[in-house]
Amino acid sequence: MKAILAEAVDWYVRLHDSHVSDATRASWQAWLVADIRHAQAWARLEQLQQRMAQAPGGAAMTLETARQDRRSAIKALALLLGVGVVGWQGYWVSPWSTDYFTRVGQRRQLTLADGSRLDLNTDTQVDIRFDAGERLIHLRHGEILVETAHDRRPLSVLTAEGRILALGTRFSVRQEAGVSCVTVAAHAVEVRPERAPQQVMRVDAGQSLNFAADRLGPLLPMAADAQAWTRGMLVTVDWRLADVIAELSRHRPGHLGCAEQIADLRLSGAFNLDDSDAALANLEDSLPVRVRRLTRYWVRVEPRDA
Amino acid sequence: MSTVRPNTECHAGLDALYRQHHGWLRGWLRHRLNDSADVADLAQDTFIRVLLARTADTLNEPRHYLATIARGLVIDLYRRRSLEQAYLEALALRPEIHAPSPETRVLILDSLLAIDRLLDGLGVRTRAIFLAVQLDGLTYEKAAERVGVSVSTVRKHLARALMHCLLFDDA
Repeated sequence: MKAILAEAVDWYVRLHDSHVSDATRASWQAWLVADIRHAQAWARLEQLQQRMAQAPGGAAMTLETARQDRRSAIKALALLLGVGVVGWQGYWVSPWSTDYFTRVGQRRQLTLADGSRLDLNTDTQVDIRFDAGERLIHLRHGEILVETAHDRRPLSVLTAEGRILALGTRFSVRQEAGVSCVTVAAHAVEVRPERAPQQVMRVDAGQSLNFAADRLGPLLPMAADAQAWTRGMLVTVDWRLADVIAELSRHRPGHLGCAEQIADLRLSGAFNLDDSDAALANLEDSLPVRVRRLTRYWVRVEPRDA
Repeated sequence: MSTVRPNTECHAGLDALYRQHHGWLRGWLRHRLNDSADVADLAQDTFIRVLLARTADTLNEPRHYLATIARGLVIDLYRRRSLEQAYLEALALRPEIHAPSPETRVLILDSLLAIDRLLDGLGVRTRAIFLAVQLDGLTYEKAAERVGVSVSTVRKHLARALMHCLLFDDA
């Protein structure tokens, strides 16, 4: 039976693909009727789907949050349960054991061991490593806002492109593909690209800087309300529609796209990140666009007359 | 394996086990739980498990056995609490959703617990991919992007997770 279950799973994975062809569907039908055990195995998969369907909306997030909370407490729990965790102190996490993370659409605020505050924006992963000599926050994905607490150990944020040393401060860091973006709200930070460590750049309050591993971008004035996400808001002043959509889509599961023809429409406004459906409805009111929904998870903004 | 014994004998064994180790077990649990009601509940549940397993009088190392059962129950309690907490937080984040009735909450929590148990033993990546596709409804491409792997890796892990669930469900 196990081999047949494996076949059923294989079919399921192929059928679930958004690019599934009619030919594949037809071959699956043929497989399904070829043997009663095929149909039985398929029924088991469907039962499993039923169980998944009983989960409330956002269940994935709830399950991950719960697991994450348990994992954060694992040290205490391990001690309590009398199970040794070997080498816990020297434990430096692999990409798949992040200390803290948020899923798409989720935000989180943490207080770290030294009293520093850390805001995690949507879809973010960080590892925290504090030792006697330094405080390290490793941003693996997404965006964080750090508000440092006073401590004699230096605090740095590590990204794929380099290191950001806090000089007593409130600043945010965003990891994009191949680029790190630093925005400083109070005091200053020092940026050191990974492959050009001699190019140290100080970024002061009200400035932001993008940098790659081997070079620094220009210092730019900080965008208005760049850190409004910590309050669940997106504030845009004269943004391209495509950029607004891209930003909203970071906060919502599934696909949210924008048609080419309307990408350059300009837009100012404030949007609630927790209710991107309302934000989309807003767009329909204020711009010549319409929102086309194929499913809950596939939404595209198009010209109204299309 | 063990011989089948008359029920009375088994109960006698349990009785002795209870008298000799109940105090110790409560102490063991008190070190691990903050709440005295939880301690009492889990101590009771541990003995109920022993009763149902009918193994009370065949134990070589009764305290080791009791601790093993109790540990499982502590983990389960912990699982339930963390899920409940996360679920309530999720509700609080979405005030526009009408708070479900207490009965509905229990049902939802049970379904979350069932899924969470089902996913035990899956690797972090496999689990993340399964949840992204099955519960968040992401396409393979989006799931690949979220987890930072290729689409073919998503397929592979999704298949692995489904297989795991089907076989576990069987047990």
